[in-house]
Amino acid sequence: MSSTTDDQVTDLQVTAPLRVVIAEDSAVLRDGLVQLLVDRGFVITGAVSDPESLRRSVERDRPDVAIVDIRMPPTFTDEGLRAAIDLRQQHEGLGILLFSQYIETRYAAELLAEDASGIGYLLKDRVADVSDFVEALVRVASGGTALDPEVITQLMGASRRTQSLSVLSAREKEVLSLMAEGRSNAAIAAALVISDGAVEKHVANIFTKFDLPVSQSDHRRVLAVLRFLDS
Amino acid sequence: MTPGQTEDMGEQVDGVGRRMRALFKEMVTTVMDGRSDRAKEIVRLIEREPFTRRTWSEFSFLTIGAPLAGIGLACVTVALFAGVALAITFFGLAVMALSVRMARGFGGFNRQLARGLLDEHIEDPEPFVARPGFLGWLQSALRDRTGWRCMAYLAIKVPLATLGILVGFAAWWDAFFCLTYPVWGGAGGRAAVFGLPEVVFGPSFFSAGQYGFLHGLGVFCAGIVFFLAAPWAVRVVVYLDRRVMRVLLAPDALSARVRVLERARAQSVDSSAATLRRIERDLHDGTQAQLVALAMRLGMAREKLAAIGDADGGVSGEHGGRTELDHIRQLVDDAHRGAKEAIVELRDLARGIHPPALDVGLEGALSTLAARSTVPTELTVTLHDRPTPAIEAIAYFCVAELLANVAQHAHASHASIMCTDHGQWLRVVVRDDGTGGAELSRMGSTSSGLVGLTDRVHAVDGRLDIASPPRGPTVVTVDLPLHA
Repeated sequence: MSSTTDDQVTDLQVTAPLRVVIAEDSAVLRDGLVQLLVDRGFVITGAVSDPESLRRSVERDRPDVAIVDIRMPPTFTDEGLRAAIDLRQQHEGLGILLFSQYIETRYAAELLAEDASGIGYLLKDRVADVSDFVEALVRVASGGTALDPEVITQLMGASRRTQSLSVLSAREKEVLSLMAEGRSNAAIAAALVISDGAVEKHVANIFTKFDLPVSQSDHRRVLAVLRFLDS
Repeated sequence: MTPGQTEDMGEQVDGVGRRMRALFKEMVTTVMDGRSDRAKEIVRLIEREPFTRRTWSEFSFLTIGAPLAGIGLACVTVALFAGVALAITFFGLAVMALSVRMARGFGGFNRQLARGLLDEHIEDPEPFVARPGFLGWLQSALRDRTGWRCMAYLAIKVPLATLGILVGFAAWWDAFFCLTYPVWGGAGGRAAVFGLPEVVFGPSFFSAGQYGFLHGLGVFCAGIVFFLAAPWAVRVVVYLDRRVMRVLLAPDALSARVRVLERARAQSVDSSAATLRRIERDLHDGTQAQLVALAMRLGMAREKLAAIGDADGGVSGEHGGRTELDHIRQLVDDAHRGAKEAIVELRDLARGIHPPALDVGLEGALSTLAARSTVPTELTVTLHDRPTPAIEAIAYFCVAELLANVAQHAHASHASIMCTDHGQWLRVVVRDDGTGGAELSRMGSTSSGLVGLTDRVHAVDGRLDIASPPRGPTVVTVDLPLHA
């Protein structure tokens, strides 16, 4: 029972290592992900290649987060997304990081329809920037949100609120994009190399300009921004 | 020669003669029997013919067909002439198109009639398919070969029907009156004054003004001849009609050829779409995944190298090792960046081959396009039937190219995509509120972009229309058949 020993070991640490299941039909990428995550101290409860095995694996091992490829057998269209939506309903608190070669606005909209907590949607490319990827995975596992910058670009580009976006300063737009990706104030500050206080000020400005309710929780904040952009 | 020999010879000659006589007799009997059998057969056929189902079916065909042809031609001619007379106005064209549609209807009815009564199975031509919109209908109707051919049939049908009445009906008519003559004419001593019998039995000839028993008998016998001949007279006329129908109401050789070619084209269009889809999938499953894995490993290596550098930074001050490490870092950095760029390029390439979102449907794929557009774009999709993958791909690439064009040249603040189906057609309208003045030759993000697309649209009999007055708005309408 390796997982038990893992649990015992992790009990000694401050935080338990996250338990991850990977559903990816490409063997090369699946093995690579396993290698990467093990290297970073995650526990891999399963590495599967189709939605059915993913369901069984989640049922059996109750992982904290699932990395799910959108295109999987048998039809190679959006099986992963369907499986993810089902899993979300059956397993409360299970983080889902959808992983795809393409960003489809419709998928993002479908995924974020109810709740943005514990949801991630990233391009596969993002795995190349290992630390950012791991950070996003941890965020999703702990109930946060991780959206690909591409999703945000699409939403901001398509938004009928372009007029409203023009009231923001350049810096505020940057903060808005990062905020919509699901990053916390501290992460935004680190990314833009500014102080936490400055970020807080920008965020407050954005919410005032958009007339949005201020929320403490990161993912609620994301949802508010997305709703605003998508409306 | 001995007498015995002579006797023998005589017997031999006798034998040969006997045998030959027997043979000849046999031959004659055979021929005569055969002939009489044939003759009997023909007689039986002639006797039976007036009472067969076929005869009466053909007669019904003549009876129903004749007035129908009259009405049909009248309607079509009136409409056609009105159309020609009004052709100078737009309304005239509509009337003309209507007459072509009516001719098709009459042609179809005639085909049904021939099928039901004559057992003449004429293949149905392609159903009429109108392009979307009133103008599309007008154009399709006026260019409907089948409709015009039906009109030609109606035109020929009228003299045929007249001949049918003169020959076919008259034969039955004469037969009826001749056979009943002894009852209504012979008794009263009146002349047989109708149709052909009047010529034969008229007062000037034969009877020489005498209408006695012999005259009556003659007329009656003629009636029998008419009665037996009538089915054949009808048959000859119907035969002519059959020949004309086979030529004008069946799909003509050209249309049949076009149909075959269209089918072949649809197959090749579909199969090339399937091939593109397979290539994209192979790229996705193979090369793209491997590149991502490669970039990921390079990313890991990069971070590990950075960690080594950080750890060693304070301790090792060795100058040579430092530069070496920096050099390695630089190499890995470059490789990492290169791999990431390759992923993006490959993704764009794959998306250009076959956008994967199309597998789920046109609406989803278009919504991503609309979202990616830099000009705020509104999307409305109302589809009752899913087009074939090849058509979906053409529609998708048209919209992609048009949106790229709007973003680059139109100076628009708003664009909209409308995607609807009209019967057998898919209509995609891309509209922007930009400066207008767009022309096909000048459009396209790349010079070949839109021109290439127009070729793809034409390849499936679609159309691409641009309405772009100076100062806008620009409206591009793409019509594609739902099924290639």
